[in-house]
Amino acid sequence: MANMAKIVGFCCNYTSQVSKDVLEREGVIGEGVEFRRLPCTGRLEIPMLLDAFTEGAEAVFVAGCRIEGCHNKSGSLRASKRVKYAKALLEELGIDGARLEMFFTKRGSTADIVDAVKVMEDRIKS
Amino acid sequence: MIIASQKPLGEIMDMVEGAQKILILGCRGCVAVCSAGGDKEVRILASAVRLGRAKRGASVTIDEDTLVRQCDPEYLEGLNDRAKEYDCVVSMACGVGVNFVAERCPDVKVMPALNTTFYGANLSSGEWKEMCEGCGACVLHLTGGLCPVARCAKSLSNGPCGGSQGGRCEIDKDVPCVWHLIYERLHKFKEADRLEAIMPMRDWRPAGHGGPRHRMREDLLP
Repeated sequence: MANMAKIVGFCCNYTSQVSKDVLEREGVIGEGVEFRRLPCTGRLEIPMLLDAFTEGAEAVFVAGCRIEGCHNKSGSLRASKRVKYAKALLEELGIDGARLEMFFTKRGSTADIVDAVKVMEDRIKS
Repeated sequence: MIIASQKPLGEIMDMVEGAQKILILGCRGCVAVCSAGGDKEVRILASAVRLGRAKRGASVTIDEDTLVRQCDPEYLEGLNDRAKEYDCVVSMACGVGVNFVAERCPDVKVMPALNTTFYGANLSSGEWKEMCEGCGACVLHLTGGLCPVARCAKSLSNGPCGGSQGGRCEIDKDVPCVWHLIYERLHKFKEADRLEAIMPMRDWRPAGHGGPRHRMREDLLP
C-alpha cells in the first residue's frame, strides 16, 4: 500500500509529463500526492510553497529542469534559490527544512518524479 | 536608500501572538527597492505568519496592502479608521514609516516587521552596502567622494589607522580600508597632498547627538 501522506509537487510544464492518476492506480505513488503544474518553475513564488504547508502538506517538492537544460534558461535555477529561501523560513518557524526540496529532473522523466516523491515520503517517515 | 531586513519570524510571531485579525502593510519606497518590505515581501510574510499560526494550532485572518510610502502623510490618510478593524498592523516600512504610522494613527497598534539598518547602495541584485551614515556634516569633498564616517570602522577623520593592512581593515579581511581607498582616489587626481592637512575634530551634533533632527524649508511650508 503506497504512502497516504499529503505531498505537493510543483512541476514545470516540461517535467510534469506524468499521469498522476496512472501512477496512483499502479500503486507507484500514494493518493495524497498532488502535482501542481507551472509553465516553468521560474514562475514559482515563495508563498506558494508556504501555503502548501498551511493547507496541510507534510512535504513539498519542486521538480524543475536540469540547470543546464532549462527551457527558459534560468527558471529552475531561480526556483532553487526560492526553495532555499523558503527552507530558511520554515526553519525559523520550527518546521524541518528537509520537508521542502528542489529536484532537477530530466524532461518528461516519470522515474525522476517518482524518485522525488519517494525521497519526500522517506523524509516524512524519518 | 534606506536598507532594512526582515526580523526573525519567531520575533514577529511573538509580536502578533493573540491577534485574530492582522493587516500586513508594505511600503513601496526604499524597503521595496531593497526587497525587504514591498508587495512581494508582504505576500511572503503573510504566508509565513499564516503557516506559523497554523503550526501553533490557531487561526488568523490576514489582510495585505502596500502604501506608496509610509513616511508621507497623504498616503496614511484613512489608515486610522481602516485599521480599527484589525487587532494590529504589522508595518513592513523602515523605522521612519512605523514611527509615522504610530504618530499619525493614534488608534493603530503598529508593530515593526523589519530591522532598519543603514543608508546603502545596491551593489548587485540581492546585495547592499553601507555608504552613508547621515552624519549631517558631509566631508566627501575632502575624501575623494568616499565616506570615512560610514565606511571606516572607527569613523576616523584622519586615517588610516594601524589596523589597515594591504588595503584591508583589521575588522575583516573582506572589508576594504576606506582610508586606503581615499588615498588611492586622491592620488589618482594628484591631490594626495590633501591628506597632509589635519581634519579638525568633528562636531557630532548634526549627527543626532544633539537630539532628534528636524529640517524645515520655510518657502515650502503651507
